[in-house]
Amino acid sequence: MRSNWLEWVVLVVSIVAVVGIVGFLVMDGVMDEGRPPEPIVTLRHGDAYVGEHGWYLPATVGNSGDSAAEAVVIRATATVAGEQEESEVTVDYLPAGTDVEITLAFPDEPDGDVTVLPPGFRLP
Amino acid sequence: MSTASKRSDDGGGEEADGSVRRSARQLLRAVGGGLLIGLPLLFTMEMWFHSFLLPSWRIVLLLVVAFGVVVGYSAVSGFRRERSWAGLVVDSVQTMGIAAVVAAGAMLLLGRIDFGVGMRDAVGKVALEMIPVAFGVSLAGTQLAGEDDDQDRKDRGGPGGDPVGAFGRLVVGAGAALLFALNVAVTEEPVLLGVEAEWWLLLAVVAASLAVTLAIVFYADFRGGRSPDPGDSPMDHPVTETLAAYAISLALSLLLLWAFGRTDGASWSAIAGQVVMLGLVASFGAAAGRLLVGGRAET
Repeated sequence: MRSNWLEWVVLVVSIVAVVGIVGFLVMDGVMDEGRPPEPIVTLRHGDAYVGEHGWYLPATVGNSGDSAAEAVVIRATATVAGEQEESEVTVDYLPAGTDVEITLAFPDEPDGDVTVLPPGFRLP
Repeated sequence: MSTASKRSDDGGGEEADGSVRRSARQLLRAVGGGLLIGLPLLFTMEMWFHSFLLPSWRIVLLLVVAFGVVVGYSAVSGFRRERSWAGLVVDSVQTMGIAAVVAAGAMLLLGRIDFGVGMRDAVGKVALEMIPVAFGVSLAGTQLAGEDDDQDRKDRGGPGGDPVGAFGRLVVGAGAALLFALNVAVTEEPVLLGVEAEWWLLLAVVAASLAVTLAIVFYADFRGGRSPDPGDSPMDHPVTETLAAYAISLALSLLLLWAFGRTDGASWSAIAGQVVMLGLVASFGAAAGRLLVGGRAET
């Protein structure tokens, strides 16, 4: 038997941790519908800023699928001073349900909207 | 933590304080042991990546195997005189729980878990990283005990305690093999070594694994090493024990390679190469584990 309050606390915390972790993973395994990775890019225009060498547009890359994607290439295009410009960022790994912060860069603030192409990726 | 404090029936506040202090020391030792053993894998990038690359059920399976090793190690090296199976299981759940909290703390401190990380990714990281940490917590409860736990030291097997039998040695050997192999199985190296090795080189690795582990345990006179004289049981012979430990090492290597997806789509020869190469590491672990618990009492 546990002989003092500290041992009881450790035991209860341990049971909660182990049951929580195993329970979550089992539930995740059961609920997993096997949807393929689907990267989703959300541009954060409100956080855009002008730097010394260009115009920077932060974005969040999420994954609404059930599995991870590898080498996710995010390509965005925009018209800057009448010229078509492109910005490309590669995310090494994009786990399901995780958000990765990236920043797209252009030579100057675009004339119109920034267009993001559907990202391609490799299956791990 | 699992070593029960022994408070007398008429114990007053002072004794209760002493009991809490003792438990706190054991908890600190468990955390320290967990970090000592788990640190290399807490800092291994492939472990973080596999937390979201592996399907949930493979991680659960690895946890079940790790739990089995912790129970087995507790049963053999165990920390209590009154060792019922229920008590062993509860102690082992506690070992895994402490490991989970330590692993979660380490992942938070290293910035591998933050608000942007998905729940599945975070739980997967803790679940994988808690495995090596749990082995450390388990070791801390027995082998790393300090002077004040002399009574517990007497309660367990190995040097200074009851001699550990052949089966017990193999159980502890399997645990150590799993720990050693885990450190390597997550990386790309076993794949590279296994795929590139020629058949004759693999045979040489098998021979080297057997010869070196046989020498380490029975002839090198390490502390915990044993006399090569055969015992009564057929398993209590240097050759049979070495072969059995090697077979277990190969099986655990295959399990880890499969769990980490290294066998997916690989040819049979590539799998065999990887198993033999990882088996070298695992067999050294099995030897170290057997040294840790010693063997037949010296006369």
